[in-house]
Amino acid sequence: MTNSHDRAKRSGSPARGQVVARMIATATAASLMSTTVYAQAVDLSQWSPEYIRSIAGTATYDTAADCGAVVPNDYAGKVSYWYTGPFEADPQIAHDQDKAFWEAFKAAYPNIETDVQSITYNELLDKFRTALLGNAAPMVVRLQILGGVEFAAKGYLNPLAPEDVGYASADFWPGALKSVTWDGTGYGIPTNNETMAFIWNAKIFADAGLDPERPPATWDDVVAYSAQIHEKLGIAGYGLVAKQNAGNTPFRFMPTLWAYGGGALDETAAEPTYDTIELNNEGSIAALQAAYDMYVRDQSVPTSALTNTQAENQGPFIAGQLAMMIAHPAEYAKMVDLASKATGADKEVADAVVENMRYGLIPEGPARRAVVFGGSNIHVVKPEYVDGGAIDEQAVKALICMWTSPEWSTKLAWVGSNPGHLGGFKTEWMKERLDTIKFLDVTTSMLPNGIPFPVLPEAPEIMNIIVPDMLQNALTGTMTVEEAANDAAAKVEELRSGM
Amino acid sequence: MTDTSAPTRIRPAVTKPFDGWRWSGRFFLVLLLIFTVMPMAWMLITSLKTGFAAMQYPPQWWPAEPTLENYTRLLDPRNAIGQDFLGYFWNSMWVSTATTVMAVIVAVPAAYAFSRFRFPGRTFLFFAVLLRNMFPAIVFLVPLFILMRLLGLVNTHGSLILTYLTFGLPLAIWLLKGFYDNIPIQLEQAARIDGATRFQAFFFIVMPLSTPGIIATAIYSFIGAWNEYIYAYTFLTKHDQMTLPVGIQRFFSENATDWPGLMAATFMMSVPVVVLFLVLQKYFVQALTEGAVKH
Repeated sequence: MTNSHDRAKRSGSPARGQVVARMIATATAASLMSTTVYAQAVDLSQWSPEYIRSIAGTATYDTAADCGAVVPNDYAGKVSYWYTGPFEADPQIAHDQDKAFWEAFKAAYPNIETDVQSITYNELLDKFRTALLGNAAPMVVRLQILGGVEFAAKGYLNPLAPEDVGYASADFWPGALKSVTWDGTGYGIPTNNETMAFIWNAKIFADAGLDPERPPATWDDVVAYSAQIHEKLGIAGYGLVAKQNAGNTPFRFMPTLWAYGGGALDETAAEPTYDTIELNNEGSIAALQAAYDMYVRDQSVPTSALTNTQAENQGPFIAGQLAMMIAHPAEYAKMVDLASKATGADKEVADAVVENMRYGLIPEGPARRAVVFGGSNIHVVKPEYVDGGAIDEQAVKALICMWTSPEWSTKLAWVGSNPGHLGGFKTEWMKERLDTIKFLDVTTSMLPNGIPFPVLPEAPEIMNIIVPDMLQNALTGTMTVEEAANDAAAKVEELRSGM
Repeated sequence: MTDTSAPTRIRPAVTKPFDGWRWSGRFFLVLLLIFTVMPMAWMLITSLKTGFAAMQYPPQWWPAEPTLENYTRLLDPRNAIGQDFLGYFWNSMWVSTATTVMAVIVAVPAAYAFSRFRFPGRTFLFFAVLLRNMFPAIVFLVPLFILMRLLGLVNTHGSLILTYLTFGLPLAIWLLKGFYDNIPIQLEQAARIDGATRFQAFFFIVMPLSTPGIIATAIYSFIGAWNEYIYAYTFLTKHDQMTLPVGIQRFFSENATDWPGLMAATFMMSVPVVVLFLVLQKYFVQALTEGAVKH
């Protein structure tokens, strides 16, 4: 992290006292950076649902004291922060945990003034882009997974590593750290790690003659199940999502594409170089063909798939008109929340839907089982782009230390995903989550199958525009499957070559 | 008692021939009415549902268990959304009203000048004021943001009022000029002969005659400011300053949408505009037809 005082140097010669103060501050910061609050938290080589359950509740943390070792609790300063907090459609517990965090931060750092703005998911990136152009950004921002790379590549972010706030890089999932690394330097710290799962309606499976307790094992099975469900019951089998320029289209299509052995670039490789375009390889074409088979040949997915995001699939799923979909871990919590607010006859139907909801691993393909490694990361903005032209480094560190701690990275991801800090899996709160949130272990089990999107500034355009366009071109018959894949590959080539 | 009432005149039954064109026209109008009203009706119906009922298929045309809960939570200042929503409402009202008042105050004399005076560059200037409205709003977003930042107006309602004037004012000037053009200049000349100053002639003769036009212009300005989203969401960050179009985005979360809450908020957002139209519609209609007959 760059010291905010560096900026003042440019505006004139500092006084002698300022130089001494700066030297002391720098030395203090350097010494603090060299210490870590926690040792490596968990053994990733043993990762399994059983292992997760076995370590949950085995460690206790005193977050205020631990972060106090990084930034003294009596530090007086100011920090501004933008993030996507809980909004009206989120379950109550998300609101409660968010409120609890800010109370805890105030208690731990009573002299740090906070200017906190919660901005909706769909607005945050554009708003942040504009704020940067006007030098009116906050000191700290929490962005969806690839946001950081775009801004790091453009030079808007300060380098930031877990060690800067007292943690070890080993305390974070390697794939998550990869997603905040640009040109060999880390520019953020993961706050949470999301992986989705496959959900299905057990009653529909039973009615269609399928085993209600067994999800499709492969993507070929998904195609076959979808056709069978549609043929027998006249409803949609699989909740395909193919809306153009919708972030959640690649979140649902890339797992299929990767499973068949495809890729946007070579992001599935152990050491990706992002030099090879794989959108038109055999695996990618097979995945596109599977989508085509369901949408065009079998017509067993919603016809509205071309304009659907996941939000539009929730209705038919709840209404028993859609059997299977890839969904977020929060989906179950959302259903329970909706059911709890239903009344009268609706209540019975809602309870039945919740009862019939099942979570399973996302199906495998010929190459692998895959899921998008998602989540959000916290970043520090360079002082010159911040409102006021300076950052309060200690206040920034205090906030990031608290937010990414084992305690709060667990609590703030309560119904949604997994803690960014691996130590979170050992907390009592993780144990409470596993005990109270049904299917949490399933989504958590998908983590080792997580593949981050290509860590490139162009990734948002590839994922949000080129991939959905490829789907649309094939599904609408504008192009054949092969043509659509080749067209997408050519567009990526063009984009990467800067044309 | 004698019946003094006039004898009832019995009209011969006349069977009108079926007028196919007339009935087709009526049928088309009914279809158009349904097409126009349906989204608003659906918005109202959804706002009376629970979150679960809103997702049912086939849809419930009328909720089995209608609830006003979505409205009460919006209007209850004791909970967070209620408190915020009322704030958004007043912010929108303040920004839209201020924009409207300023647009009218500036547009009335400006349009009059364009209508009555001949000066060098008049035609160029008249078209130039409209130039701003020929480009999409997004083109001006970053330059205006930087300008507002330099002026220290980011996160203030002043930034919105100034910005809304940049596209509301040209439209207002153009609309009003059309009105003034249709007011016979002889009326002003007569007043001047009777001893009125130019200002008095404008204030006491032209202004009253152009009231429908001013009101129509004000309505346009108000609605433009009331519904504006992109500048409001860029220039304002703090919750307590947000306007309604931005505020209602909070019903969208990362993975879900609170449809009944969103519909209730949208319905309430449309109420002031509907009321405005109902109260002022006679002026609005008058304004629309004013130029139909050339004086």
